[in-house]
Amino acid sequence: MPEELSELAESGPVKATVADSTSYSKKLPIPQMLVRDGFITDEDVEKIYRHSERSGLSFIKIVLNFGYISRKNYERSLNNAGYAFEEIREQPYDKEILDQVDLKFADEHLALPLRKENGKIVTIMADPSDQLFIDFVKLTFDCDPEIIVASDLDITWLSHKLIGIPYVKSAVFELLNRDAESSALVTFTNSQLIFIFATIAIIATFLVLSFTLTAIVINVIISSVFLVAITFKLFLALVGSRFELHQQVTKEEVKNVKDDQLPIYTIHLPVYKEDKLIKKLIWNLQSIDYPREQLDIKLLIEEDDDKTLNAVRNLDFPAIFEVIVVPYHMPKTKPKACNYGLHFSRGKFLTIYDAEDIPDTDQLKKVVRMFEKLPSNYICIQCALNYFNRNENFLTRMFTLEYSYWFDYMLPGLDTLDIPIPLGGTSNHFKLDNLTELGGWDPFNVTEDADLGVRAYAKGYKIAIVNSTTYEEANNEPFNWIRQRSRWIKGYMQTYLVHMRNPIKLWQKVGWQGFLGFNFFIGATPVTFLLYPFLLSVFIAYLVFDLKSIRLLFPDWVLFMSIFNLLIGNILMIYVNMMAVFKRRYYELILFAIANPVYWLMHSIAAYKGLYQLVIKPFYWEKTNHGLSKVNNSANAVK
Amino acid sequence: MRQSKTIFLVCLALLLAVYYLFIGLHLAKLGYFNKEELFFIEKAKIVFEGQGNRLKVMGLTSPLLPFYGNFIFTLIGYSVAPIMASAIGTAGLFYIICRTIVKHTQDEFYVLAVLAIFLFHPGMLAAGCSGKSTYMVLIFFYLFFLNIFKFYNSNTTFHISIASICLVVLIFCDYKFVWLTLFFIPLVLSIALNTLNLGEKESIFRLYISFNNPSLRRKLISKSLAIFIILFLLPLSSVLIYKVLNLTHANDLDYFIESPYSNWNVLAEKIDYSTLQDEVVHRLPEVSIMISARVLIFFPVILLAIYLYRENTYQVLTLLTPFLFIEFLKIKYPKIFIAQQYYLPFLILSLLCVATKVRTIRNEAIFKISIALFFSVTIFAGYYMLRSSGITEERNFIAALIDKKVLDDQQETQSVAAYINSLPPTSKVLLDDAIAYPIASFVADIRSLTLPYQAEYLSAIEAPQKYDRYVLVANSKNEASSYTELNQKYVTLYRLGNSNVSLRKVHETTNWVLYQIL
Repeated sequence: MPEELSELAESGPVKATVADSTSYSKKLPIPQMLVRDGFITDEDVEKIYRHSERSGLSFIKIVLNFGYISRKNYERSLNNAGYAFEEIREQPYDKEILDQVDLKFADEHLALPLRKENGKIVTIMADPSDQLFIDFVKLTFDCDPEIIVASDLDITWLSHKLIGIPYVKSAVFELLNRDAESSALVTFTNSQLIFIFATIAIIATFLVLSFTLTAIVINVIISSVFLVAITFKLFLALVGSRFELHQQVTKEEVKNVKDDQLPIYTIHLPVYKEDKLIKKLIWNLQSIDYPREQLDIKLLIEEDDDKTLNAVRNLDFPAIFEVIVVPYHMPKTKPKACNYGLHFSRGKFLTIYDAEDIPDTDQLKKVVRMFEKLPSNYICIQCALNYFNRNENFLTRMFTLEYSYWFDYMLPGLDTLDIPIPLGGTSNHFKLDNLTELGGWDPFNVTEDADLGVRAYAKGYKIAIVNSTTYEEANNEPFNWIRQRSRWIKGYMQTYLVHMRNPIKLWQKVGWQGFLGFNFFIGATPVTFLLYPFLLSVFIAYLVFDLKSIRLLFPDWVLFMSIFNLLIGNILMIYVNMMAVFKRRYYELILFAIANPVYWLMHSIAAYKGLYQLVIKPFYWEKTNHGLSKVNNSANAVK
Repeated sequence: MRQSKTIFLVCLALLLAVYYLFIGLHLAKLGYFNKEELFFIEKAKIVFEGQGNRLKVMGLTSPLLPFYGNFIFTLIGYSVAPIMASAIGTAGLFYIICRTIVKHTQDEFYVLAVLAIFLFHPGMLAAGCSGKSTYMVLIFFYLFFLNIFKFYNSNTTFHISIASICLVVLIFCDYKFVWLTLFFIPLVLSIALNTLNLGEKESIFRLYISFNNPSLRRKLISKSLAIFIILFLLPLSSVLIYKVLNLTHANDLDYFIESPYSNWNVLAEKIDYSTLQDEVVHRLPEVSIMISARVLIFFPVILLAIYLYRENTYQVLTLLTPFLFIEFLKIKYPKIFIAQQYYLPFLILSLLCVATKVRTIRNEAIFKISIALFFSVTIFAGYYMLRSSGITEERNFIAALIDKKVLDDQQETQSVAAYINSLPPTSKVLLDDAIAYPIASFVADIRSLTLPYQAEYLSAIEAPQKYDRYVLVANSKNEASSYTELNQKYVTLYRLGNSNVSLRKVHETTNWVLYQIL
């Protein structure tokens, strides 16, 4: 800290809570003050103004959100200059005044007029020298402002809370209003309920009439589905494994990307009570190889999440993201937060990362290059996900095996065969315009990513896979794992129910390949997990006790098919997992693939929990706790 | 590959399939049948028409995949199914090899040279026309090595896992190929060692450095283990699972390789060997070390293959593994003759090397002359090999093909089957298909037989009068009579134990007697 500043700091802040604009105008403007205090240089100021002209963002917005100065230093500098920051959350406000302010404008300037008092407009501002906003207040309300200096985070919090309601309503109901059939607000439609109960009734009737025959028919159907699914999965994995033979975007191509031609890239970081991860998050974002000014990073914080907001406030170093506070509205889900963030996004492309994610440093450039190479109907690119804490415990190893297989083999396989790709939770990069056109994410769906993938295909768009990886934190705690997995499986059930409301229409939209793929990957996944313990018990009972009744229900052909499925199916799935980690050169994990049958039993527990929740509380978002890993991520993610 | 090339190859392959089919059917008309096809015909009839524990037959008949390979053609007819499968399969192999060639060269000479091998080499003719499962062995042997070679170049999981899948299929085409895994162990270590990031180039020093550095040692071991697992987990676990299935369904882990009810080879090999030992002109079986020499004599083209890869250590080591494998077979199974099924892979391997290396040849004219020369010698040597084979069936095939003279026709078994077919529909016949499967394969209605796969078979042996009207017994002249319960001793014992029931000979041939139970 410069010497004069420290002297001033010792003398304490001047108590001037509310002041008119003329008293502030006598003081040094904030940019010059920051230069004087040595926090930024004159070149920085010029750069910031140029950035401001291009983007429409205010000086203060850029200074605080693009890594120029930390909030603590800014507050210190203002305090030393005689400004005092006030707590503003409980400030009274006048709705009529607020109605005349656009949230985006207020957000860009980190300022908000609250009420009329003593013939002046009480205005909260992070930068009391922002002449544009002062002029706006004067012009709009025909009187001078009375400025309250406040923390930009508090202003953001209050402005989104007070005038963000139309945006949050839009975030929740936009898809429902535009395309009600694609919304998961209704979990089961009437026709689906009739179908489900009619099927149960028919099966029950047949079981009463001829128990053995009906059981055999059911066995045949289950075995056939399993057989086709296993063969199809192996085929897909082999198709997908060919993917490693060529790189979609080479290092050379990335090298040739010109920084000054790169578009603005929005990154959404939806977080909820992730205060422990904020420092890591900054570290990870700093490593992204993309011009900082072209990044539009939004940290989406829920209104009631003071923990994360305070963690941002207490950062000792400059932040490189912008905070967006999502006003309270049910359902409290990640897609709702992302939809809300869409209103404030400025990028040509948009992606989502979780707070603990470590994307490959060149990921954004690769995606930009990939979009350039692809036809215009490709609106999304999915990157592979993997884990940095893979060797932490049994669970993280199994999770790594699973993800390596899913993202390195299955998704490329689906991509090659032109089958709808259930997008992964993060690192899916969209063209922002097309995403908006699709209506964003479904806030009522707890696997909104998978749903969006199918929805995009149904509209005739395509999704591609790129050779870039984002390293995440694998869940290392069993109960936390089951919570997360139950949400995923519930989401798959929701997505299946939504898109199968009219199967013929879906078939027409995505073609037979897409239809079958959808049924096998979205529909069959929860079903297999639900059936797995049951079938395993039957097999064990058959092996150990050789029960005659089992023989009765499994005639020769069915028994043969079932045993083939169970043994060969298990081996093949284990093998495909091994292939995936072999490809990633995680040789130490290969033998863990053998433990997959045990891991699948955990999936079954999660599947039953997911099914229960689908009926009882379909929109409930089972929060996954992050930051539990003791592994230092940065050391592990290097690949 | 251009589309016209593909069409050209498909047309050639189709013509080749027709060629094989024509010869196969012609040989069948002459009376040539082999044990494997008759065995499969009988088992297919049981699976589709039988009554009893068909699951056991369906799942434990060995070799499993060639058996299933015949299934699709049984729609056309049980007896033509194996011939069709082998004809189409061998033509498919031709297509696969040629596809590799056209990916590497535009010169059609090589396609025509391969076509000549497929048209005239007696081993390939046997694979295509005999109805045996050799075609499937050759296809997956070729694909296995092709993908291993590709893996050396690309170092990708895709190729190594495809190689592994091919090995699984190969083992289920012929279980003895499981021993091939044994000779890949040093190769895997060598691959892992070579892919370590070390400055030293010499293998022995690389090994020294790796073993004396804990980190490198760990890396080397985990990588070797990983490659070994990726390559062999699938085959080995499939075998293990199959053995468990054998245990649960037949109370014997090795049922599929040791039971004559499951595998036609069990008795065929024993009988072939013992018959030859009893002959007046005593023949020595192949001696272990001489097997490799026989390979070089009968398939000199393998020398050309090794020459082509002389500068690639892995590939040469890989080419040597089948030599070790075939030598091992002789040591492991000393009392059998090595069938041409184990020699032909050398020819296929040579074609693979030619196909993948053709692009790098500098002096093409000399190379083409060498190819023509080596191929001609190989074809000629092939005829000599089959004529001098210790295996009756192989001599039989070449005699039928060249001399149109079937040495061991199935007229006798057909006559017994014809008699059974002429019996009234309600008359059931007790028959042991461990040795009598050729007769069962010619029987029109498999349900008219009481066979060992049925639960009542053991009771029927004890008291045939309660279940059957007839019983088929192996004569004392039958060379396999000691491998069945239903032989002349059975007749004597039965007569002693059942004085109130008598057996009447109704049909007799050199090897078989059909008794009516009165």
